[in-house]
Amino acid sequence: MIIEVLFPQQCGLFGDLGNVRYLQKCLPQAEFIETPMGGRPLFASGGEAPALVYLGPMTERTQEKAIGALAPYKEALREHIGKGGACLFTGNALEALGAYIQDGDRRIDCLGLLPVYAKRDMLHRHNSVFLGGFQGQRVMGFKSQFTMCWPTGGEAFQDGLFRVEKGTGLYPHCPVEGVRTQNFFGTYLLGPVLLLNPGFTRYLLEKMGVERPALAFAQEMEAAYQQRLQDMS
Amino acid sequence: MDGRKPNPPVGRKKRSLRFFFALFFAKGTALVLKLIGRKGTSMPGSWAIILCPDFLARMPRPKTVLAITGTNGKTTVSNMVEDVLSGCGYDFVCNRAGTNVHTGVASALIANSTLFGKPKKKELAVFEVDERSAGNILPQLQPDILLCTNIFQDSFKRNAHPEFIVDILSRHIPGGTRLVLNADDLLCAGIKPGNQRVYFGAGPLPGDTQLCENLVQNVRVCPQCGQPLAWEYRRYHHIGKARCPACGFRSPQADYFATLSEDGAMAVTIQGEEYRLPLPDSAPMQVYNSLAAAALLSEFGLSPRQLAEQMGRLTVSESRYSEKEVGGRKLILHMAKGQNPVACSRAFDNIRQYPGKKAAVLFLDDFFDAARSVENTAWLYDADFEFLAGEDVVQIVVAGARHWDVYLRLLMAGVDPGRVVHMRGTGEAAGALDPEKAEAVFILYDVYTIALANQVREQIGKRITEKAGGGRHDN
Repeated sequence: MIIEVLFPQQCGLFGDLGNVRYLQKCLPQAEFIETPMGGRPLFASGGEAPALVYLGPMTERTQEKAIGALAPYKEALREHIGKGGACLFTGNALEALGAYIQDGDRRIDCLGLLPVYAKRDMLHRHNSVFLGGFQGQRVMGFKSQFTMCWPTGGEAFQDGLFRVEKGTGLYPHCPVEGVRTQNFFGTYLLGPVLLLNPGFTRYLLEKMGVERPALAFAQEMEAAYQQRLQDMS
Repeated sequence: MDGRKPNPPVGRKKRSLRFFFALFFAKGTALVLKLIGRKGTSMPGSWAIILCPDFLARMPRPKTVLAITGTNGKTTVSNMVEDVLSGCGYDFVCNRAGTNVHTGVASALIANSTLFGKPKKKELAVFEVDERSAGNILPQLQPDILLCTNIFQDSFKRNAHPEFIVDILSRHIPGGTRLVLNADDLLCAGIKPGNQRVYFGAGPLPGDTQLCENLVQNVRVCPQCGQPLAWEYRRYHHIGKARCPACGFRSPQADYFATLSEDGAMAVTIQGEEYRLPLPDSAPMQVYNSLAAAALLSEFGLSPRQLAEQMGRLTVSESRYSEKEVGGRKLILHMAKGQNPVACSRAFDNIRQYPGKKAAVLFLDDFFDAARSVENTAWLYDADFEFLAGEDVVQIVVAGARHWDVYLRLLMAGVDPGRVVHMRGTGEAAGALDPEKAEAVFILYDVYTIALANQVREQIGKRITEKAGGGRHDN
């Protein structure tokens, strides 16, 4: 099994490469391939498809470079997602796959693979604690971001990843957080999200093709998760 | 000021009726606070700015203003600068007793002013400036010289990421402000490129390497062409000397260049001549703090002889680091700013480097989040807990609301679970430690938990004394 980590040198803000380090503990036999910015991604190489493509949060300037670096491989990424290939994009990484990012008067075109756009406001940083639902389980995490994400069609967003119980979704009063299409999982939740949510992590591992997924440090992770849920209630 | 003229007061405004109303109200507030015995509050400044939002731009300031900012070390460096200036006989206004945001600076200026706002101490001001608040302070205050100690990843919630902070500083530093910058920090060295500047930097130090062990490395590629950098040496995180093999970009040459001598002093080359300056502590971070203070003071106009005389008298603030010996064991209080992965990583590295067998008590929770909410734990995964995985760290006690999260992070870092004890109640931490296992016990605490850390050190000291035969424990 191969897991592709896109641009880890530049796209690993806010401790989110902890997601990758945790997957390494859960999947010690898996091969982790780091694709540098400017390199040809594995999902576009025509060889063995990665079981997961991961992209983490980045600075705003890096985000524009990442969009540029992924643009030549847009169709390969569309194909990977269309075939049910798993992807986990965290923080502002998911915006790269949306239609565009509005930054004041400036519009930054993105890959256009997801029906969302983001509004960036560098004067206001949004920080919140999130509690939501996913496949009958509770999911929690933290949001710390300059952007909010909106559906391009203007209608209520249907392709959300987590149902909001407490906190803020993709935009204020949005009933969902994150974006899901097939096995593409995009979320603004930090934490890192995989270490915070044992149920979601098991589900992701299944979608990656792991049979009977076993979590590393499962008991300790569950205890930390239960404590957080209790403290939120 | 070494013959240099101060900046013209560009951007400063005339005093208006609104300004005087705000000033009188703030002075009244300060008087009431004094009568009820409250000190060090920024409330007068807060009122002044609420009533007159451009108060700082209208408030007369002393002739020369020195400002100190940066992610880490700014309080230590400000204290050093102020102590040296006091030792040299300067009378100045500063915000040491208050806060480093705009309300704290305004409060300090108000406290130093006559009824109509003229400064009582007319010649000099030294202000520590919170880098995130630079936009509310620097354009109005127009400092003559600004020192930036470094730019690192800080709180995700407040400071986002270093690029965001560099942009804030570059946008708001006035064009006429002279800069004193860290040559060994490419983020810091690149601030406000058009301004007049000098750099400080340190030559080889013990522990230098070419491979960086830290998780957080905010400069990985050339800031000009984006290609990977080659490092002559790395110190920690992105601190070091780099060059770009692709485009020729390199770290700037230091105008104030320090090397360590065998007796623990610092030799600083200033304009081609070498001077010896005593150091309160020879840890790399402290070398940079002392060097930064020396560079700023030299730019202000102090002679190397004055610097050497006064810096020999400096000590590191006991509120940030203090060692005590009880029963032959060191009990060490070490501040580790919460939600700041770099500050915590430095503390973990100091534990790793400390000789002998060590134990660590970790109070890492954010005081306010622990009381009201669930703290964002993401920063734990940017902090180098891996430094605590060595066998010479014989015991780790974790206490606080997020103890399970910290415990999980320690397991992720490869720490032997048999060496970790964790609990929610901070009051149980001292009892959980076996002080006989270690020759040194580090107690790591956040800004707001120093009282707790002191209390725990006292409890551990008592236990050591009692085990040694029940003698009296002096604090």
